Amino acid sequence: MSGWVKLMQLLCWLTPPAVARYLSVRLFHAVITMVVAVSLIFIAMRMLPGNPLLARFGQHPDAEQMQRIIHEQGWDRPILSQLGQFLHQLVTTGDFGESISRSNENVSDELTRRIPATIELTVVAMLLAVPIGVAFGVAAAVWRNRWPDRLCMAGAMLGVSVPVFFLGICLRAIFTGMPIGFRLPAFEIDFEPITEFYLLDTLLQQRFDLFATAFKHICLPALALSSIPMSIIARITRSSMLEVLGEDFIRTGRAKGASSWGVVLRHALPNAAAPIVNIAGFQIGLLLSGAVLTETVFDWPGMGKYVVDAVRENDYVIVQAGALVIAAIFVTANLVVDLLYLWLDPRVRLS
Amino acid sequence: MPTRRFAVILVCLMFVACSSRAPSKPTKTNNTLIYGRGEDSKTLDPINGETGETVKALVNLYDTLVAFTDDSTEIEASLATSWSTSEDGLTWTFQLREGVRFHDGTLVDAAAIVFSLNRLCQDDNPHVSDPARPYKPNFAVIEEIRAVDPLTVEFQLSEPSAVFLNNLAMFPAGIVSPTAVKKHGKGFSTNPVGTGPFRFERWIRDQQLVLAANEDHWRGRPNFDRVVFVPVSESATRIQQLTRGEIHIADNLPPAEVDDLARKPGLTVVEEISMNVAYLALQMDKPPLEDVRVRQAIAMALDKQALIRVGYAGHAEPAINLLPKAMWGHNDGIGDRPFDPDASRELLQAAAADRGFELPLTLSLAVMSEPRPYMEQPLQVAAFVKDSLAAVGINVTIEPKPVTPHFAKMMRGDYQIGLAGWTTDNGDPDNFLYSLLDSDNISESGNNMSHYRNDKVHELLLAAQRELDQDKRLTFYHHAQELIFADAPIVPLVSTKQRAVHTTRIKDYRLHPAMLIRLRKARFEDVP
Repeated sequence: MSGWVKLMQLLCWLTPPAVARYLSVRLFHAVITMVVAVSLIFIAMRMLPGNPLLARFGQHPDAEQMQRIIHEQGWDRPILSQLGQFLHQLVTTGDFGESISRSNENVSDELTRRIPATIELTVVAMLLAVPIGVAFGVAAAVWRNRWPDRLCMAGAMLGVSVPVFFLGICLRAIFTGMPIGFRLPAFEIDFEPITEFYLLDTLLQQRFDLFATAFKHICLPALALSSIPMSIIARITRSSMLEVLGEDFIRTGRAKGASSWGVVLRHALPNAAAPIVNIAGFQIGLLLSGAVLTETVFDWPGMGKYVVDAVRENDYVIVQAGALVIAAIFVTANLVVDLLYLWLDPRVRLS
Repeated sequence: MPTRRFAVILVCLMFVACSSRAPSKPTKTNNTLIYGRGEDSKTLDPINGETGETVKALVNLYDTLVAFTDDSTEIEASLATSWSTSEDGLTWTFQLREGVRFHDGTLVDAAAIVFSLNRLCQDDNPHVSDPARPYKPNFAVIEEIRAVDPLTVEFQLSEPSAVFLNNLAMFPAGIVSPTAVKKHGKGFSTNPVGTGPFRFERWIRDQQLVLAANEDHWRGRPNFDRVVFVPVSESATRIQQLTRGEIHIADNLPPAEVDDLARKPGLTVVEEISMNVAYLALQMDKPPLEDVRVRQAIAMALDKQALIRVGYAGHAEPAINLLPKAMWGHNDGIGDRPFDPDASRELLQAAAADRGFELPLTLSLAVMSEPRPYMEQPLQVAAFVKDSLAAVGINVTIEPKPVTPHFAKMMRGDYQIGLAGWTTDNGDPDNFLYSLLDSDNISESGNNMSHYRNDKVHELLLAAQRELDQDKRLTFYHHAQELIFADAPIVPLVSTKQRAVHTTRIKDYRLHPAMLIRLRKARFEDVP
C-alpha cells in the first residue's frame, strides 16, 4: 500500500498544479460515472424477470434446492441492501464475486483472461484503422472532388454502413485460407500465456511460429472490427485537412517553396490532428466495449461475448462486472484523449 | 530516446519470460484428438453436471459403480463387480473391484464410494462446494450408505426402487477421489480426480479442456494420448475447422450441413438412434385445450413424415409415444393417429360447438430459439406446426425464447402449446413417463408441462417405480402408455438420429443411444 502512496506523491510532484487539479476533478467525475452506471445495471438486472439459477439446473430444476441457494446468497433481500453489499465487497476486496449461472466460476479471474483478448483485438484493429484511415482522408483532401476523393469517400460510406457481422461473414467467405475461431488453433496445447496478450507472449517466449499463427488468427476479426473506425477516421481527416489546407500559413509555406507533400504532411496534418485524435480515442472506447458482434462471428474468446452470454442467462454478477469494466474503459479512454488534446493543441487551456 | 527505453524494458521482460518457464504443460503429439462441440463444459464435478456438453467430459473422467453397456442402457459391472438385493428390496449390497486407483494414485475402497455418493445425496454435506445438484432428487430414495468392509458397500433405501440401479449408472453418481476433494475444496470442479479412462490435464474455460490417457485404467489404456474438447459456438466455424483439419470430430451440426459433409472425401459421418423424443406439449389447464377433441385434432393435423423432411433433413423417426421406440418398455401395440386434416377439422368443429368457442382458434406456440439434441432446427419445426394447424383452422403465433427462459415459462404453465423434448438420463421408462407426465411433477419447476392429471396413470407409474419384477413393470408401462395416448396431453413428434462427423483417420468411434460420448475405444488408424 505504501508503495502506491509513494507513487502518487511522486506523480503529484511531477505534474504541474493546474494539470493535477484538472486530473483530480476528472477522476472524481469518472468514479461517480462508474458508480452510477453500475448501480443502474445492478438494479435493472434484478428487476428483469428470470431466474439465473435455472441455467445451472437446466431441465432438472429442483425448487427446494433453488430456494435454499437464493436464501443463502441473500438474493431474496431488498435490492438496495444487495447493492450496498456488492459495493462494499467491491471496494474492500476488489472481487466481483462468483457467477450465478456457471458453477464455481470466479468472475474476476475470467475477466482478467478475457479482457486482454478484447484489448489485443482492439489494438490491432486500431493499428489498421488509424494509418489507413488517415492516409485515405489525406488523399481525399489533397485530390478533392477528383477520383481518389470519390473512391475513398465511397469506400468510407460503405465501411460505416456494412454491419460488422455481415462483413465478418463476407471476409470468411473470401479469405478461405485464413483460420477463424479462437486466438490459436485448438491443437496448440503446449502454449502457456504469460500476459494473456498472445502476440506479445509468443514473442517473449521466442515462439515465432506461434506468433505467425496468432497473427493470422487475429487478422480477419481485426479487419472486420476496423472497418467502422477506419471509415470515420478517413472522413474526419478529410474534413479537418480541407479546413487546414485552406488557411494562410499553408499558402505561405507553399510560397516559400516547400514541397507540396512536405506542406501537407509536415504542416497541415499536425494542425489537423486534434479532431482525429479525439474521434480515434472515442472509437477505441467503443471498440473495447462493443466488439461483441465481431467476437461472436469469429468465436473470439473476449469480454464482449462473455457478457452477452451472461445477459442471456440472467447472470447478474457477470453483467455487473462487465458493465463496470466497460464504464472504466470508456472513462479512461475519454480522459486520455482529453489529455492528448491538451498536448496537441496549445490553444486549449485548462480553465 | 523513448524508443531505446522501450527496447530495454522489452529485453528485461524477455529475460523474465525465459527464466520462469511454466510448470507441467501438455505437449502435443499426433495421437491427440481434437473434439469440436457447440458449447463448453459448465463444471467438472459430477454432482453439479446437467448439460449434455458437461456430461461429455464427465463420462470420460469418472467411472460409476455400475455402467451402461457400450450400445444400450443395460447395466454392466464397472467399479462394482457384483451386487444383490435383499428380499424386501430395501438393502442393496455391492462388491467392489479390487485394486482400482484414482488418477491421484489413491485406492478406491468402500469409504471412497460412501464419501462420493454422500456428496450427491446429503443435504448439508460439508464437501459440496456448489449446492446446485440437479440430479439430487433422483437419489432421494437413499437413506444411508455404509461401508461394510473395504470392498463391500451397502445402501439402505426408504422404499423399493426399480430405477435405483440405473440411476447409479448415471454420470452424477461418478466416483470422485476423497483425497482430491478434501485437498482442493472449492477448486475440485476445476481439478477433478476420478478413475475414468481419461484423467484431467487442464481447462481454460470456453477455450479448451484437455484430458490425458489414464495409463492404468482397469479396462486398459484408452487409444488416444490426449483428448482436447474445444467449444466452437458457430456451427459454420466448426465445419470450416473440420474441413481444414483443425478439429477431428464435430457434433451438433445442422442436419443439411451433415449431408453436405458426408459427400466430402476424408470425412465420415457416424449415425446412431438416440433415446430421445421431441414433442408438442399442450397446456391442459388453458381452454380450450382441456377438451380432448381439441388435443386429438392438433395431433391429427401434423404430418410427421413431412416434419421429418422439413425440420430434420430426413434423419429422424416418427414418435408415437412419449417413450422412444429404442427403449425398453415402449408399447409397440399402439398405432399412431393418421394424418387427417379433415377429421381434425371435424373434431375441432364439434368441440367448438359444445364449448362455445369461435373458429379459427388462436393459439400461441412457445419455442426455444437454440438447437437442442432432439430438435436441431426448432424454428423450422415451429413454422411447420404453424402451417399445419392453419390448414385445420388454428391460427398460431410463434413465440421464440432462449432455452432457459423458454423452459422456465413452460414449467410455470405460462403457455398454450409449446415445443419440448427429452433425452434419457438413466434408460428407464420412469425417466420419461413419470418425470414428464405424472401429476407429482406439476409445479413451478416440474417437467409435467402439460399439467396432465390422470389418477390411473399416476397409480400405474408409482406402482412401476416400486415393483422390482421387470415383467410386471412392463405391463404397467404398457397400460399407462395406452391411457396417455387416448388422453393426448402431448403430441409426440420424432426421435432423432444423432450424427457426428469426423475425419476418416479416426476408427471405432461409436455413438451411444443415451448420447454418452465415450472415447475409450476410438483411435487414429495410423497410430499403432
